[in-house]
Amino acid sequence: MLDIKIKNQLIEVVGQNRYLDRKEELACFSYDAFIKEAMPDAVVFVQTADEVARILKVASEHKVPVTGRGAGTSVCGAPIPVKNGIVLCFSKMDKIIEINTADRYIVVEPGVVNADIQNALAPSGFFYPPDPGSMNTSTIGGNIAQNAGGPRCLKYGVTMDYILGMEVVLASGKIVKFGSKNIKDVTGYKLCSLFCGSEGTLGLVTQVILKVLPIPETVKTMLVTFGKLDHTARAVSDIIGSGILPAAMELMDKMTVNAIEDSSHLGLDRKAEGTLLIEIDGVKEACEKEMDNIIERVKKQGALDIQYAQTPEDRERLWTARRSAYGVFAKLAPDILSEDVTVPVSKVPVMIKRINKIGERHGLKIGVLAHAGDGNMHPLIPADRNNKEEWVRVEKAFDEIFHAAAELDGTLSGEHGIGLAKSDYLPLVMNKDTIELMSRIKHAVDPDNILNPGKFV
Amino acid sequence: MNQKTLQNCGKCGLCLNACPVYKILKEEQASPRARLQLIKAFEEDRLLSSPLLKEIISKCLMCGSCTGACPSGIDHYSQFMEMRQKMAKDHVENPMVKSMIWLLSQEYRTRLGAKMAKLGQKLVPERFKEKYGLGNIPLKRLPEFNITPFREAAEETISHGSKPAGTIVYFTGCATNYLYDDTGFSTLRILEHMGYRVIIPKKQTCCGIPLLFHGAQKAAKNNIVTNINALDLDAADTILVDCATCGTALKHEYPLFTETLGLDKTKVEKIASKVEDIMSFIQKRFHLLSFTKDSIEKVKATYHIPCHLKNSFGSHEQAQTLLNRLPCIVYSPADNADQCCGGGGSFFYEYPEISKQMVTKKIEGVKATLADIWLTDCPVCRMNLAGNMEEKNELQVVHPVKVIAPFLN
Ligand SMILES: Cc1cc2nc3c(=O)[nH]c(=O)nc-3n(C[C@H](O)[C@H](O)[C@H](O)COP(=O)(O)OP(=O)(O)OC[C@H]3O[C@@H](n4cnc5c(N)ncnc54)[C@H](O)[C@@H]3O)c2cc1C
Ligand code: SF4
Ligand code: SF4
Repeated sequence: MLDIKIKNQLIEVVGQNRYLDRKEELACFSYDAFIKEAMPDAVVFVQTADEVARILKVASEHKVPVTGRGAGTSVCGAPIPVKNGIVLCFSKMDKIIEINTADRYIVVEPGVVNADIQNALAPSGFFYPPDPGSMNTSTIGGNIAQNAGGPRCLKYGVTMDYILGMEVVLASGKIVKFGSKNIKDVTGYKLCSLFCGSEGTLGLVTQVILKVLPIPETVKTMLVTFGKLDHTARAVSDIIGSGILPAAMELMDKMTVNAIEDSSHLGLDRKAEGTLLIEIDGVKEACEKEMDNIIERVKKQGALDIQYAQTPEDRERLWTARRSAYGVFAKLAPDILSEDVTVPVSKVPVMIKRINKIGERHGLKIGVLAHAGDGNMHPLIPADRNNKEEWVRVEKAFDEIFHAAAELDGTLSGEHGIGLAKSDYLPLVMNKDTIELMSRIKHAVDPDNILNPGKFV
Repeated sequence: MNQKTLQNCGKCGLCLNACPVYKILKEEQASPRARLQLIKAFEEDRLLSSPLLKEIISKCLMCGSCTGACPSGIDHYSQFMEMRQKMAKDHVENPMVKSMIWLLSQEYRTRLGAKMAKLGQKLVPERFKEKYGLGNIPLKRLPEFNITPFREAAEETISHGSKPAGTIVYFTGCATNYLYDDTGFSTLRILEHMGYRVIIPKKQTCCGIPLLFHGAQKAAKNNIVTNINALDLDAADTILVDCATCGTALKHEYPLFTETLGLDKTKVEKIASKVEDIMSFIQKRFHLLSFTKDSIEKVKATYHIPCHLKNSFGSHEQAQTLLNRLPCIVYSPADNADQCCGGGGSFFYEYPEISKQMVTKKIEGVKATLADIWLTDCPVCRMNLAGNMEEKNELQVVHPVKVIAPFLN
């Protein structure tokens, strides 16, 4: 419970209706898509930068923790208020302020849902490339805080690559602005890249300028199966190495394909060790040429079967398998853990084999999905957190997966972030001085450690 | 409670933006995920029953859209339904809801209520009609009651010729019986044209769903048992519903509550397997229709997909195929044709502010189609849409059967 004085100060800012502190309501802000939970003392819904500033002033005056929240789809516990305090929710601050396709930018508030941006842009023939699997729900503020990526980021880059400018409220309540509406801007430090990916620990984003692109004229999609994982990997390297940059290259391993077939009978090849979904986009003629080139290469690397999408419906059908993978694993047990370690592309097959071994060693069913073109892996582990014995095995498996990734020059997270899930593992990929540098930066902008405390810094 | 299904919610949040209530309020506590998490906390004794908990659970249209978006295959509907029962036991309903339960739980009361209301509609002076209403809907924009209830006006068994194409048992629901007999008579006309024998069991009554939403299990059981006995006819090839929500009761709710209410499982399952919604029924038998050869002036029509048609029957594609095939209309779909209208059984008068925002968006979407007529096959949606239309750009809202029947040979 917050002190009544603080409560009244907060209500003064947002009004009674946008302030919650009854247990039933607070419980709804104690979780995200990660396993852990923690109750806040109060929830406020903000609608303007000024409100955010005033709330942070109150919070820093009383040293009350403040944790930002978008839609709560984080899978690493980033918005869970482990030190209680205030959850500051951006979901109602969701206006698209400006769409300017002539200058190729949009200005939005942080609570806008990613898919709503896509829908608003589509009529003018534009899109915003970052496409996290959660795009129908997750907010731009959350995407920025986690530097979200998605399948098409292989070609287009991640959230950070699309931020031109932002407005941020610091812990002190000061409102700062950096970047501009210009694609080229080298005025001062590139602060956008400091705040993007900071998981709400450095400041709260209240407005952003995002770069947008014209929707490509043509999309070509195909599904290729390989008998051997090594062949799949060679095909991926061959394609990437040849200079073609597909929009997406998604790999499903044998365990995943079999789990999908068990549940939805899509007619996938159960014996294939690697199934690759490849998508290219661009100008029609270029796509056709690249497509022929890719076909030649995958055949050379031993592809067993190639299916092409002729119509938009075909394309949907080919994507169905990839899209359903998460759900298929989610249905296998009460909980689903989805990891996102990343390794250099050439090491994807070694990593998959190691994950398979780790799964066998601990008696766990681990399916592997990977954004193969950029080495971002998604091992999916269905498990039951109430089964203590199994849970110990799950934790061991994760521990080993992180170590394996680090050994292969990989990293802990490609897109989900560190949050609560992986903070203990930071030393695997960062030395002490680097971690300390992050702490110093944190201390400089948030001396009282009120912004999302208890996380990785 | 089934722990397994409860825990299967991975809290991924993918259901949030599928939920019409969340989309309006943009608050986690109004989301399907939150409802499930609260139910779980309640089941695990981490959270006590309270009026607020009850309210959070009830602020839901029971539309089932969340289930469609859920990768973990959660059956939200059943879980919400069970929780509603528990909450209703612990906390009193508001007087409005209570009187609805009283009214719907006995057919004679509903009949009497309808008669009284009809009388009332006549007696209420115009200036009062402007002022008072139900939820968002001003009184004068509520539908007029049928002069005679449909089931009294129609024959119980209607045969056409000696060799009928089959036997249909027609479950009319309360709305067709008391409010919208145009739907009933149009349906009969179509079935007659197709050559079916039709039985409209006199003993049928309110499906009981509105009662179950509010936890009135005992009253609901009476209705359900009455319906099971009235509908379980060996002769029936199909049990036809003109309203997807009533259909959901027969198809899903009765089986769901078989154990809790001690229903006859065999009968319930037999009925459930025979239920068909009228849109896909006609679409599948389109070859049986022959339309008049006179040149028909086509009207531009648009369509509101009732949530239950989409989420319980999965018939929305069929329904739209049918509309595209009709020679008497030009079907002009609205971008938001499948968005919930905010009616949701009794939701529109329990939460009028939320409902109003939803229906306003619907109406905006429909204006863009420039249609002359708005079709929908759920009476609550119909009442809600028609009731919220502004006077000046009035679109007529009717059941799709209404644009089929007059043009048959
Ligand atoms: C099924 C599923 C699929 C997913 N797929 C992907 C994927 O493909 N790629 C990917 O990258 N991620 C993915 N994710 C993870 C998650 O969706 C992303 O991390 C997303 O960006 C989180 O957005 P959100 O609005 O839900 O933020 P939240 O979860 O609410 O918050 C995330 C973090 O952002 C901070 N935050 C929120 N708003 C602000 C703000 N305005 N200012 C400062 N900090 C803020 C919070 O404090 C928190 O630390 C997936 C998650 C799920 C459940
Ligand atoms: S049934 Fe409808 S209103 Fe209720 S939670 Fe699900 S989507 Fe939301
Ligand atoms: S979509 Fe399903 S699993 Fe995900 S939060 Fe909603 S109910 Fe839970």
